[in-house]
Amino acid sequence: MIEEVGQMMEDFDDLGYVVEEELATVLLLMTKLQKPLLLEGPPGVGKTEASKIIASYQDTDLIRLQCYEGLDVNSAVYEWNYQRQLLSIKISENKNTPASEVEDQIFGEDFLLKRPLLKAITASKSPVLLIDEIDRADEEFEAFLLELLSDFQISIPEMGTVQAVHRPIVILTSNRTRELSDALKRRCLYHWVDFPSFAKEYAILKKKNPEVDEELLRAIVSFVAQLRHQKLQKIPGIAETLDWANALATLQVQSLSSEVIERTLGCILKSNGDIDMVKGSLDSLLSEIAS
Amino acid sequence: MVGFSELCRESGLAVGLSHTQEAIQASSLGFIHDEASFRYGLRSLFCTCGEEHQIFDKCFDVFWLKRKHTYAHKTSTGSTNITKKSKSSLVMAGFKPKGAEEPKEMEEASNVTGASKIESLKYTDFSKVAEMDSDFLDELTNKLLQQLNHRLKRKLQQSKRGPIDIRQSIRKNLSNGAELIDLAKQRKKKEKHRLVILLDVSGSMDKYSFYLLRFVWSLKSHLKNIEAFVFSTHLVRITEFLQQEQLTNTLLEMSHHARSWSGGTKIGECLADFNEQYAKRVLNGRSITIILSDGLDDGAPETMSEEIQKIKLRTSKLVWLNPLKGMEGYAPLARGMAAALPLVDNFQSAHNLQSLMELENILSDV
Repeated sequence: MIEEVGQMMEDFDDLGYVVEEELATVLLLMTKLQKPLLLEGPPGVGKTEASKIIASYQDTDLIRLQCYEGLDVNSAVYEWNYQRQLLSIKISENKNTPASEVEDQIFGEDFLLKRPLLKAITASKSPVLLIDEIDRADEEFEAFLLELLSDFQISIPEMGTVQAVHRPIVILTSNRTRELSDALKRRCLYHWVDFPSFAKEYAILKKKNPEVDEELLRAIVSFVAQLRHQKLQKIPGIAETLDWANALATLQVQSLSSEVIERTLGCILKSNGDIDMVKGSLDSLLSEIAS
Repeated sequence: MVGFSELCRESGLAVGLSHTQEAIQASSLGFIHDEASFRYGLRSLFCTCGEEHQIFDKCFDVFWLKRKHTYAHKTSTGSTNITKKSKSSLVMAGFKPKGAEEPKEMEEASNVTGASKIESLKYTDFSKVAEMDSDFLDELTNKLLQQLNHRLKRKLQQSKRGPIDIRQSIRKNLSNGAELIDLAKQRKKKEKHRLVILLDVSGSMDKYSFYLLRFVWSLKSHLKNIEAFVFSTHLVRITEFLQQEQLTNTLLEMSHHARSWSGGTKIGECLADFNEQYAKRVLNGRSITIILSDGLDDGAPETMSEEIQKIKLRTSKLVWLNPLKGMEGYAPLARGMAAALPLVDNFQSAHNLQSLMELENILSDV
């Protein structure tokens, strides 16, 4: 580990985040090379969290764009404030202003509603731009992003091209519900985020629930780790583990027993089939943790 | 660094010039002083998916740590029985070798009552198309598909009466002052349905699989968003093979990857595979899933209905096309088919071109 990475991990730790060495290295490289970072991995392993980490580390804004199918330029980049435009035209009508002047006026900055991408580009201090779940957006939008990510400029037909004042730090996340285009991947650093190791998950839990008994935390982490080896429809992520630890702490549970688990299984498993299956094999799971 | 990039490229990673440059930049930033940092940094630069990590690590070990060279990318691809392959590719090409034994008549296939109602080739059962006619059939397929395509488009155009587009309206009416005289209408964005096709290529489907595959292949050029899979005892994704311009190339590539053509049928297990690996990726609220199979399953019907239930939850419409349904006197009695039937939205035949063209209705009114 080089010094800077170690320093970075310590800083993260002070900010309340647990980051393993590899991710820290990649994050450092991302800030040094000013290249976008693509984080891929199953849901609930802290991909979105990584952008929050870097934002609080750099002490800048986090601008988030949640992607969905049918996401278009109007909701991702900019939109005109139509009501204001109409009003302004009405007012200028009485003053007999020439049409070209009216046009200049209503397509000015005052009438522009900035959506996340434009906001990120025009920010005064380079922000962290999180493009969340890019795999859910259409391919057309992905192509549009390509242009943005290579030149950091956006063209608005009525106004001209807007160039980034400060290059934003861009983090893209994907759950891999579809394969992203090679062109997009080529422009990004890539990091695969997997389910956390025992040590990492334990450290996170410890950090968020310092009051809970260590023995219980250890049991929780190893139980969830066991669960991840089962053939589940939806494998629990870190968020679920945290929820569960929270629930157990609220219920003032001292140790894991099969009744307790059965009652709170809804915190970690989100499908009826999974819950039934795990309930059936609770005893064998528990004995495996004990050994 | 150039040498390392070269090695990575040779091993199958997509490493460009810019990557090498950035790698040099990274190492001069101090990353080179520590093995782990160097490895993590370069890995994030050179890899584009988790599967490539293994290749990268091998290259890294070989080049920087002077480990023994083993070709990471040359993991054995499990070459299967060659004779089987060649036979299957022949079958796939539609030319059944003379004297090749007819596939065993299965429970239902036995009560074929003849095709007395044949009017033209359009209505001919695929299994009865002679070799001579197959070219003509190809042509007909293309023509019909074009028609289908036109009709689909027309239907989409008529639905283009959406809400008012304020942005365009203001632009258009600037000269009228603030009076909005011409209203610009927003066009409805073309609804994109994804078609997911699961084609059975097991032994009992031999007579049909070539024509059905051909149909899938031509569909791809008319509809943009298609995912296709073939299955018998294993499930194979063929979407990328369909991108070939020539059908023969598609078949060639498929024969390299697909095992167990014309083998047994394990519909339940294959669908389970599909659910596990691909369903989350390819199915969504706007996808139509088409299963092309005769429903003659070797596995347990419970598995099958369970897996079909899972697919149904994820897709907007589930269609089962069964070539056997075109036969007179056919009833879906096979255990697997009977188990699946209550879950299927549409149960149609797929034994001749006419029946395939009826897909139009399914595709347009979702």
